[in-house]
Parts: sequence; C-alpha cells; structure tokens
Amino acid sequence: MTTTGNPYIPHLATVEETWYETGGERCIKTFKVVFDEEKVREAWSHRPGQCAMIGVLGEGESMISISCSPTEGKFLRFSVMRMGKVTQALHQLEAGDKMMVRGPYGNSFPIEDWQGKQILTIGGGIGQAPLRPIVEFVKANRDKYAGLTMIYGARTSGDLCFKGEFEEMSKSDDLSCHLTIDVEEEEWEHNVGFVPQMLLDLNPSPENTIAITCGPPIMIRFVLENLKKLGFEDEQIYTTLENRMKCGIGKCGRCNAGNMYVCKDGPVFCYAVLKDIPEAFA
Amino acid sequence: MDIEQLRKIASEVVARDDVKCLIGWKKGSYGYRIAPAFVEDTEETADLIFSPLCTANLATYLTLVEKLPVPRGQEPDTRKVALMVKGCDSRAVTQLIVEKGISREDVVVIGCPCPGVVDAKLLAEKYPETEEAAEVKWNGDGFLLIRGGEEIKIARDEVLAEKCRLCRYPNPVISDLMLGEPVKPWDVPEDSGVVEIEEKSIQERWSYWLEEFDKCIRCYSCRNVCPLCYCQDCILDRLNPTWINRAVNFSENTAYNISRAFHLAGRCIECGECERVCPANIPLGKLNRKLAREVREKYGFEPGIDPEGEPFQASYKPDDPEDFIL
Amino acid sequence: MSAMLLNKEKWPEFIGKLAGKNLWAPQAEGDAMHFAQVKEGETPGLDFGNTRVPPKKFIFPQTETMYRFQLGGTNIEEPVIDDEVVVLGIRPCDARANKIIEKLFKWDVDDPYFLARQEKVTLIGLTCTEPGLNCFCPSVGGGPASTDGLDILITDLGENYYLEALTNKGEKLLGEAGDLMVEDKGDGAKAKEKLVAAAEKKINRTVDTKGIPEGLPGLWEDPLWKRVSASCLGCGTCTYLCPTCHCFDIQDEIEGFDARRCRMWDSCMFEEYTLHTSGHNPRPTRRERTRNRINHKYNYYVDKFDVIACVGCGRCINLCPVNIDIVEILRQVKEAL
Repeated sequence: MTTTGNPYIPHLATVEETWYETGGERCIKTFKVVFDEEKVREAWSHRPGQCAMIGVLGEGESMISISCSPTEGKFLRFSVMRMGKVTQALHQLEAGDKMMVRGPYGNSFPIEDWQGKQILTIGGGIGQAPLRPIVEFVKANRDKYAGLTMIYGARTSGDLCFKGEFEEMSKSDDLSCHLTIDVEEEEWEHNVGFVPQMLLDLNPSPENTIAITCGPPIMIRFVLENLKKLGFEDEQIYTTLENRMKCGIGKCGRCNAGNMYVCKDGPVFCYAVLKDIPEAFA
Repeated sequence: MDIEQLRKIASEVVARDDVKCLIGWKKGSYGYRIAPAFVEDTEETADLIFSPLCTANLATYLTLVEKLPVPRGQEPDTRKVALMVKGCDSRAVTQLIVEKGISREDVVVIGCPCPGVVDAKLLAEKYPETEEAAEVKWNGDGFLLIRGGEEIKIARDEVLAEKCRLCRYPNPVISDLMLGEPVKPWDVPEDSGVVEIEEKSIQERWSYWLEEFDKCIRCYSCRNVCPLCYCQDCILDRLNPTWINRAVNFSENTAYNISRAFHLAGRCIECGECERVCPANIPLGKLNRKLAREVREKYGFEPGIDPEGEPFQASYKPDDPEDFIL
Repeated sequence: MSAMLLNKEKWPEFIGKLAGKNLWAPQAEGDAMHFAQVKEGETPGLDFGNTRVPPKKFIFPQTETMYRFQLGGTNIEEPVIDDEVVVLGIRPCDARANKIIEKLFKWDVDDPYFLARQEKVTLIGLTCTEPGLNCFCPSVGGGPASTDGLDILITDLGENYYLEALTNKGEKLLGEAGDLMVEDKGDGAKAKEKLVAAAEKKINRTVDTKGIPEGLPGLWEDPLWKRVSASCLGCGTCTYLCPTCHCFDIQDEIEGFDARRCRMWDSCMFEEYTLHTSGHNPRPTRRERTRNRINHKYNYYVDKFDVIACVGCGRCINLCPVNIDIVEILRQVKEAL
C-alpha cells in the first residue's frame, strides 16, 4: 500500500504501547503501533502471515512479521528480537515514539480456504509471531473453523512469547494450547521436550486438518518430517520462511530461495511447493 | 622450467596421506589466462604448469577456506594444503605464519624460483590475445610466446610485470620442496612509481589519489585477492557501527582505500595482486609500495622474510623513529 | 522511423547539436574506456571496444538517494529525477540489458527510481563491428546490432555513419540534426547488413543455451559447482561489471544532521549478502553463491521473466581475477545435463 506512489517511502506511525515478551541479551519486545495519518490507517489492510518493513530513520529498516490479526483492530503489532543495528534501535522506542512502517508485504496464509477445518499451529521461539495472527483470526471466527490446536515451545519458559494469552485459550473447548520447553524447570507445569517430539506425542489426526509451522530452520525441518510421519499430506502443511530482505517488493535480490522471492512469492509456502525448492531449508 | 619435475613433485605431494590438496596454476580458459588449480589426485597433476603467466599469488587461498560446522559424528579435516609459491608468494606465506594466520604445519610449501612473470595486460596490448590458450616460457633473458603454432621472442623489459622489476626476493624465502635451481636476483632500480608520487606536492598527491579513488567501484577484489587481507570480521562489512559507508563516492572510497593501505603497512609483501585485479585500474601497487618503503627505510623492517620474526605493527623498539608522528 | 547517413566530416557538427544536452560518451581512462560527461567543445569518437564498467549507472546508479531526512525528524523528502541524459555509444548488449532488468523493476510493483531514470535517458547505440574476445551475445538472444532498448542505432560504415531512429525519442533527436544528414536510399542499410554479418562471424565464443534453464534445477547437487567455484575469491567484480546484475542494498547514511536512505549495488557473491542477523547463512560458501549467480541468470530469471539475464558481454570473463569463465561454466553445465 502506498499513498505517494513510491513503494519505498515508509509511513509515520506512533508506538502506543510496548512490553517485553522475553528477557536477556536477545530479548523480544512487542510494539503496538498506529499510523499517524488517517488515510494511511484507513487504506491499510493486511492478512495473517504478511510482514512489514519497520524501522527508524537514520538506523535502517527490517522486515518483521505482523503479529496481530486484522480482526483485532486498526493497529499493528510487531514482536522484535534484539539482534542487530535496526532491532537495537527499535528496542529504544517507547510509547509515544515514532516508527516508520511500510507494507504489508508478501502473500498470506490462505486462511479463508481453511474454513471448516481443524487448524494446527506448531511454533518455536519467535516463530510464534507469524502464527499468532492465525490463532487470533480463528478465535475471532470460531464458528467458521472446526477448532484450533496450538503447539508452542521455546528453550526456556522465559523465552516463550505471548504468555498472557495462553491461559484464556486453555479454558476453551475447541481451542487447545500445548506448551513445551527444552529443559526441565521448577514450577513448570507443562511439557518438557522439543517441539517436533511433542507433536509426535500429541499425535494429532491429519483428517480435515491444516498444519502450519514456523520456528528455527532446524525445528521446521524436524516438524515437517514428523508431520509426514503422522500422515499429513504435503498440501495440508504450510510454513512461513524468513530470509534477509532489503526492499520487500522483489527487487533487491537477496531473499530468493531457488526461483522464489520470499518477500513476494512467500513468506507463506505450502509444503507441496516448498519441498521442490532446493534452498528453502538451507 | 622442468614441467616433468613439477608433476613428479606434485604427484608425490598429493599422494601423501597428510595432504588434502595442492594449489597450483593451470592453463586458463583462453588467451593468456591462468587459473588456480586445486589438485586432489595424481592424475590432475598433469594440468599443473609453472610459467611466466603464473602471476596469481595463491597464498590467498590459505585463509580463504570457508569452514562450515562439522556434522555431528564427523572429524574435521586437518590435513595440510600444499601450495606452489614464487618468491613474492612465499613472503605472504611467511607473513601469515608470523601473524599466526596459519601454522607452519598446515602447509606444504613448494617453492618455485621465479625469474619474473609477465604483465598479461601489457602482453595483450602488444600481442593481442586469441581465444586459444597461449603459452609463455622463460627464454634466456627474455620470454618466448607460443601462440597458434607461432613462436615470438620477447625482450624481458618489454612485458615484465612491474612488481618483478622491483623484486628483491625472486627465490622462495620458505619452502619444503624446491622446484629447480634458485635464480640469481637482479639489480632493482629505483621505484619510479613511488618516486613519481613523492615528487608531487602534498596538494598534488591528494588530487592524484582523489582522482584515482574516485574510480573505485568497491568490488573489493583488491581486498579479497590480498593474501594478507584475511580478517574474519572486516570493518567494511560491519554495520554496527558503520565505519565506512557503502555509498560509493570519493569520500567513502578514500576511507576504504586508505584504511586498507594502512592496515597493510609493514605487512604488504608487494606481490602486486591488488593492482592486477583492480577493474578500475587504480595504481594500488604504488600506494602499498610507498608504505612498504617507509617501513623499510624508517624501521629497517621487511615483512614476510623471517618466519620466526615479529609482526611489525605489534612490535616496538626503543629506538623506533617517531620524528614524523604529529 | 527514419534511417539517415551522416558524413563523418560532419560528426563534430552533429555532436555540436547535442551539446546543449547532458551528453555522455565513452572516453579513455588509462587502458580502459568509461562513460564520462562530454564537455563543451569535445568531440567523442566512436572508435573503441566496450567500456569496462557497463553503463547501467544511467538507470541504476551505483548509489541512489532514495530520500532525505533530518536526523531526529520525521519529514521525508523524495529526490526529483528530472535530468535528461543522452548516452552516446552504448553497445547493443548493454542497452538490451536495460530492457531485461526493466522486467524486474516493473514486476508487480513499479520501481520509481529506475523507471524515472529510464524515461529521462536517450540511448544512442553503436553497432559492434569488432566484437571482443569474450563476446557471446548471439548465444543469449542478442547480436552486434541488436536494437532492443535503444532509441537510435549508429553503424560506422567507413565514410559515413548510418543512423537509425528506433523510437519517437530517437526520431525527435535525429530530427534536430536533420540538416546534417541525408536520407538513406538503401545502400546504407545494405552496407550495415554486411558489416553485421561479418561481425557475427568474428564472434568465436558460443554457448548452446538449449536445455540449460530447464536442466539447472536437476544439477543442484552436482559436483560441478564445487569445481567451478573452488578458486572464487568472493569479490564483486563479476556482478558489479555485469550489465544485468541488479541487486542492491539499502542503507541509511548520516552526515551531521543530514541523512539519507540510499540504495547501492550489492553482490550475491558477498558473504554478507544473505547472512541473517542470527549468524545463519542460507548460502554459506562460495559454492552456493556461484551456483546462485548462474541459476539466477539462466534459470530463475527465465522462469519469472522468460528471458536469460545475461547478454553475453563477456565482462565477467574479461575481469575475473581468477579466470572463472561463465562460458566454461555453462559448457560444464551442458555436459552434466
């Protein structure tokens, strides 16, 4: 979306609220952001799975998953891990500060096509960020989906994002939420073990189900393997990729995996397509 | 050059259990081109050559190896690399050892005494290249060009590379095996390129280099070909902080080229590769030789001669001159 | 469109007609040619091989300011690209390259910088009568007199120049110098045809591209990639000197309080190009990077835009420091198919 005709020009937005999802060196901070200009706010529409280029003038911009569903309201949410120059600058922002946003970019989850189906999300670490909009979308359209199962894991309990939202979910009948961490911790009531193993243990039926996974490359690889073991067809499996990006609109070159530009042809890929892209899991 | 001896030595070396591969030169895909050869079995040694066209300093490959994580259950390959070196190239190997960039045990050095190589650009200017690969041989005091069945005698000075005209170490300073007999070093004339710069006023020098650096396209081939530009984390690639902007303009280009030159002071072994590969024809050799000369004359230090020596920039002597330090 | 003959004696006058414009032409710099602005009173000749750096800078400058802002401010100022440029003596391969990369810059979302520059540039091409040693344009759909992307094509007929207007822009420009030329009655066209046929014969390097785009995916794990990339230094020479390479980086640059966001040529041969901030690199070695370079040109681009993203100018071969030769790589690809 652009109001100037120049797709590289970002829109000014104000950070309304921020909070930390996780701590430590590579902490994750969530930003709730609203565009300053009304016409931008009105013209903006995104779908679950899409990304946006967010940044700070003078520091640069980064491609970040939009971690909210459009059903939540006229705002955007980004959960950003502090990693490099841009994300460090973003982490400096507090409520009231300005952020530059352009997008939305990429394709999205074909969530309309999944109506009537059981949704299974399998996330790891910050990889839950692009899956969260699916969860929220299904929650907002409960009658249209058969149900939702969420598997989410991280290294430690401190590395899990969106923690406050899980309790409410586990109270619901047709939504189930399964958490896991890699190593045993005191007062941890949920599962201990890796995400791919938990998936096997839960043994969800592939019948009328769509599985969507996102997380570290190694986790995705094993989750895909295990989904196949559980009898999921390639067409039932989706993932969302990330690669280094600069332009977001298929020009700058670097995000390609084989002949696919992750920023345009992706980031969402059905495994039926992805399995033939040689670089996808490199 | 005894090609049979070269192949015999090479075959023996690559047959060794403790040698991973041999890096040498082979005929290129056309004209006067030479390509680096990575020989892993004795059969491939038939491709190896050593001729006046073998300009490339292969020592750069010693630090260019990309180390991928070793898969679980596999042992890392710790075998040696065998490397063919001319006099100048051997200084790069020595300097790398001095700087602990590599260990002496990691490399088998095959020394190739070198009577001087040709400047392929100069050669192509005078004797146009053809699609067919040509051959050049040392021939008494000059060169013999063999091209399309025709043999042309060329006087040494006509096509000799500038770095060779100024070379003081035509024989490898370090080697495990030697190919042929040492050559007799020649009288080295005054470095006219450096003198030409020195004779300019400060203002003229500045404009001269600005004009040259303005041409730089920042492809970094000079950095990548340089056997002594091997920092894992080059300041050019750093974004946080950004030392040198990626924008290509003479301010940033100058910052890049001067940083590199200073980083090479007391380390550059004058193999001339940076200037050879520069697609913008920047006379980088002059710049680096000027600094090398300063270090040599002011500190009596020459890099890449003594494997037991200390690195210049990391050593200090109480009587080091400092009169030129502002 | 008209075809005219210009007697070489009138060449300085012809240049004089263009003098008021922002005219660029190849000029010697040491042993290389490069495009430089023609100063008043100068008469550039057309007797040269190709320039070392391709003239893509006129539509895709090595560094392009995308917008300016003040540090700490939020006001964005877009640059105005309204400089008319006339490029004289661009080779057909380089002009064709512009058209090839235009497909990407227009793909789905228009790239405003590229398209604005392209609109402002008039390209006067020059037929190649003496192709270089590593030229192989006919193998990849071009030719010594390819007109793709050009506004005017000039052919050196000896005594005369033969000028063909190919677009309205070209027609208009030729019209301005109309009084210096005579209309060609057909002799010029015939002479040109002969010269072009002779030039084509002089091109010795060839690539049989048949089957390569379709075949490359099957060679993904072929040992050839290790072989052809073993000596790669990982520098950007091949890509920076390639007229169809179009990758860029985007960086913010600050000088005092003035700052800009700009884009600059980038190279898929650099390690940082695909390096994630996490340290993970999907193309960890020069093998993968070399494979990507060849695949991008001969497979992905064909897949997306139905054209090979290589014009056969031979620059990457001429200037690779270690003789990595794309013709040779493609020969090995062909062999492995």
